[in-house]
Amino acid sequence: MMRGNRIFLTCFYWAFVLYVFIPLILMITMGFKDSKFIGFPIRSWTLDWYASVFSNTEILSTFGYSVTIAVLATLISVFVGTWIAVLLEGRKFWGRMVIMGLTVMPALVPGIISAIAFRIYARLLGIEPGMGAIVWSHAVHTVPFVALVVMARLSTLPKSQIEAARDLGADPLIAFVRITLPYLIPAIIGASIFCMLISFDDFVRSFFLGGYEPTLPVLIFAKLRSGMSPEINAIATVALVLTAAIGIWAERFTRRMNKDS
Amino acid sequence: MTDQTPLVRIEGVSKHFGDTVALDNLTLDIARGEFVTFLGPSGCGKSTTLRILGGFERPTSGRVILDGKDVTTQPPEKRQVNMVFQDYALFPHMTVKQNISFGLELKGMDKRGIQRRSDEIMAFLELSAFGDRYPGQLSGGQRQRVALARALAPNPALLLLDEPLGALDAKLRGQVQQELKSIQRRTNKTFFFVTHDQEEALTMSDRIVVMNQGKVEQDGTPEDLYFHPASRFVAEFIGETNLLSGEMRGHEDGAVVMDWFGQTLRGHAPAGAPRTGAPITASVRLEKLGFHAERPATANAVQGKVVGKTFLGSRMAVDLMIEDAQGATLRAFVDAETGQTVGADPVWVGWDSDSMAVLRD
Ligand SMILES: Nc1ncnc2c1ncn2[C@@H]1O[C@H](COP(=O)(O)OP(=O)(O)OP(=O)(O)O)[C@@H](O)[C@H]1O
Ligand SMILES: [Mg+2]
Repeated sequence: MMRGNRIFLTCFYWAFVLYVFIPLILMITMGFKDSKFIGFPIRSWTLDWYASVFSNTEILSTFGYSVTIAVLATLISVFVGTWIAVLLEGRKFWGRMVIMGLTVMPALVPGIISAIAFRIYARLLGIEPGMGAIVWSHAVHTVPFVALVVMARLSTLPKSQIEAARDLGADPLIAFVRITLPYLIPAIIGASIFCMLISFDDFVRSFFLGGYEPTLPVLIFAKLRSGMSPEINAIATVALVLTAAIGIWAERFTRRMNKDS
Repeated sequence: MTDQTPLVRIEGVSKHFGDTVALDNLTLDIARGEFVTFLGPSGCGKSTTLRILGGFERPTSGRVILDGKDVTTQPPEKRQVNMVFQDYALFPHMTVKQNISFGLELKGMDKRGIQRRSDEIMAFLELSAFGDRYPGQLSGGQRQRVALARALAPNPALLLLDEPLGALDAKLRGQVQQELKSIQRRTNKTFFFVTHDQEEALTMSDRIVVMNQGKVEQDGTPEDLYFHPASRFVAEFIGETNLLSGEMRGHEDGAVVMDWFGQTLRGHAPAGAPRTGAPITASVRLEKLGFHAERPATANAVQGKVVGKTFLGSRMAVDLMIEDAQGATLRAFVDAETGQTVGADPVWVGWDSDSMAVLRD
């Protein structure tokens, strides 16, 4: 009986893994097909699509644009999110739950709704669509993740650490910079990578708030409209490998840092 | 400033947490170079007192005077007081040396001064070999020494220690107790030590302040507290004792005379002597009861029957039933040899009036 269960669970697990990964495997495979048309059978293989992606200045500059947006949005998000976390953690004051709720909200609002809301708001404020608007919307969207991750880490900092620093002559600011901040670094790095990936991946906000220059997902979307070609598979594969590598590295890094202290 | 002024003066300090009264009008002086121990059961306000001295809590009322200056509202970083935390609170991302230098840097000491002082204190506490290690790579005892080194490095006027030995196993604990005491002697610093372990308090302190429910129960030398406890609480909290319930009879030659189930006993008088006829309790330590074949010439003597013996290694605990005192019992420590010979015949036990403390109550 136990044995039967185990076999069933194992089969179920692998079926699930296949279900999740088959589309990805197909996508990657097609990027190496020596033909303009996607689909089986594959008669010959090539790296030409990759060569064309890496020599296409439009694609490269779009990639750079997306990365720039991700980095800027992350910087803002980390600053604001950490600040909120430090303000809220371990303190009791009236309205704490309200602030908490408002902080988490942007993560829960559907992308399309927040994109439209941002679009309207940006017009009201006279902000042109473009990089600034995209960065702003991405930052707002990712602040909750930073705030929650940093708060979780902060709640595990023993109070005696800060007291010891104060005891040895540190005023509250020095204690924060020399004790609290180093303690938060693993959480901040983890949250930053996460924010960057979210921003890099975002389509809806970038689409609604973008100007003439597209971000990578928006460019892929535009290319799709003019017909599917293995070039898109190649772009997507490069993006996939990069994000997966960064994501896995960040996860392991955070885990190691958390274990050390 | 002469050495006569107390280093610390706690003046009528109370601390309330909501409805909880953690400290109730505490007044206490601490002299320079003293090893003072705060002893009491869990929740009696020991940590609260320490935290008020360190500047981590503000008293609800009262004042704290440090070296003649009112520091009641001063934040911790302004006080010449350092603390060894119960969990040590070493900074995990700094090496031993960086931990120790932290307080020196913040004092504005120059690089060479920091180097010299941290080397000196590490050598003093035998930590020189561990300077580049992180706290996570040290044993419990080593961490404890780092915490001590870090607190001593800035040369504080007063060192606060909140149950710093709690995390150590029994053997290491004994060693570190001796070490701490000798460090205190060698540095000639004022140590304010908190523990709920009475043995630890007795072995280490110049002076013990016994706390109970936010109030000072008794304040004195370890010998004082042990042999002349002022209250039932102290008598029972420190060591093992015989409690004798009787009735006050009066005074005679500076001793209190009491009646204990028909036996007249003489004891050490408490500060506020009770009225004649009032019920009183006296405490006499197990090792103060002497065994004799004949009636001894001590102030107190009763005859008893051995009803139980417990072998404790170097000595033996003997339980006696006193027939002349309506079958009341006494427990005594005797050396193992005497313990073996007594048993069959009734024995006489005697004790001085000074070794029996009449308790306040
Ligand atoms: N921050 C706080 N908020 C509310 N009550 C507190 C706080 N700190 C201490 N107390 C209460 O004050 C009383 C004294 O606490 P304190 O920590 O001084 O005890 P203690 O003598 O150090 O005990 P222990 O031996 O368990 O450490 C306790 O009843 C405790 O519950
Ligand atoms: Mg305590």
